[in-house]
Amino acid sequence: MAPSAAETRTTDARSRLQLIVAGGVGLTAASPILRALLGTGAADAASKSEDLRILQLVLLLEYTQVALYERALNEASLTGELRDFAQIALGHERQHLAAVKQALGSKAGPKPRFEFGLKTKSADAFRETAIKLEDIAVAGYNGQATNLTKPTLAVAAEIVSVEARHAAWVRAIADEVAAPDPVDKPMTASEVAAGLREIGLRTS
Amino acid sequence: MHEQRDFDRFLHAVDVDGAIAETSHQRQLVLSRRGLLAGALAGPGALLLGGSEARAASGLSANDVGILNYALVLEYLQASFYTEAERSGALSGKTAQAAQVVGATERAHVKAFQKLLGAKAVKRPLFDFQGVTEAQQAFLKTAVAFEDLAVAAYKGQAPKLQSNAVLAAAVGIHSVEARHAAWVRELFGVTPAVNAFDKPATKQSINHIVASTHFIVAHPKMKARSRPQYTG
Repeated sequence: MAPSAAETRTTDARSRLQLIVAGGVGLTAASPILRALLGTGAADAASKSEDLRILQLVLLLEYTQVALYERALNEASLTGELRDFAQIALGHERQHLAAVKQALGSKAGPKPRFEFGLKTKSADAFRETAIKLEDIAVAGYNGQATNLTKPTLAVAAEIVSVEARHAAWVRAIADEVAAPDPVDKPMTASEVAAGLREIGLRTS
Repeated sequence: MHEQRDFDRFLHAVDVDGAIAETSHQRQLVLSRRGLLAGALAGPGALLLGGSEARAASGLSANDVGILNYALVLEYLQASFYTEAERSGALSGKTAQAAQVVGATERAHVKAFQKLLGAKAVKRPLFDFQGVTEAQQAFLKTAVAFEDLAVAAYKGQAPKLQSNAVLAAAVGIHSVEARHAAWVRELFGVTPAVNAFDKPATKQSINHIVASTHFIVAHPKMKARSRPQYTG
């Protein structure tokens, strides 16, 4: 790994995250991303409230991903490339979660519970669950693309391709075709919610 | 050698996390002139563009036609690259399997954009991949660069699209390119997902990078043809 390039990227991502994070506590920063995420920009009222509604769904999605990876790393005796994958993906999902949480600020919904059952208890079960969950993430973000304001779409696009990379990576580890479709099919918000529930999300 | 320097610059420009540079001195690129790829293989079945397909170019704004043609050139580049690599017989094992799947997908993307653009579709440029399709490691290294580039390019353009139908299709392709990027990275032995946030790239920077490769040796001017061309 060339340290200079890697460090540059990490610093860049972190500072951008801090920018988003700062927004959640009510800064008057000029970033269009911030304004969009906060709903305090020039976008019309319907779009702003729609962004916030969608971010609540995204919050649940990112909470679910963080929880799955955390528990699997604790409980599933992961080894080799699958363990590397889980650790790296967890780091990414934590950053996504922090960004979304802070963007929602006081409007962020409460941290949900999870009942993963056997899904985090073995490497095989975790791997198959991770494939499903990352596919839901990709389909969920893609499904909301046309409902988001453009600045929020730009941020979502930076996240969704990382979820897609995770999906392909864990498929490659499973020796499956890593990119089975020519175009990823979107999911509606209710399909995403049902998918997350099936994996173990409990919101009540 | 001139081509070697250009290609190294290209790899450096797209090597955002140093992953390619890490292994760049492990193997020398095989650089040789070779015949241009003529025509293209027929793509796989119908695309999942749904209703947007029926719009053809007639319902698209000039802005969206421009973005779609830009995407089409990138898809031409990728499709021809994978097709030529498959035909060269230099790939084996999991890499050969991946090249087949990814190549079929890129050809399907080409067909979809051609169909969507109809008579406004830009023509396929002529390519000279300068030997990178003739050796597995050089192929993988280039594939990593192309796929990461495609992800950044789609990401840069998505928020600029005006048609929701086109945007819905474009984001579905964008995430597939990201899957490809992770897949070829895994095969090349570098981390498939490096950062929590993937950065976009402007059209200008993508064009600059692509031009620096000299992979495109002739690029017909964009102009309307009398009828759509459906060959992938």
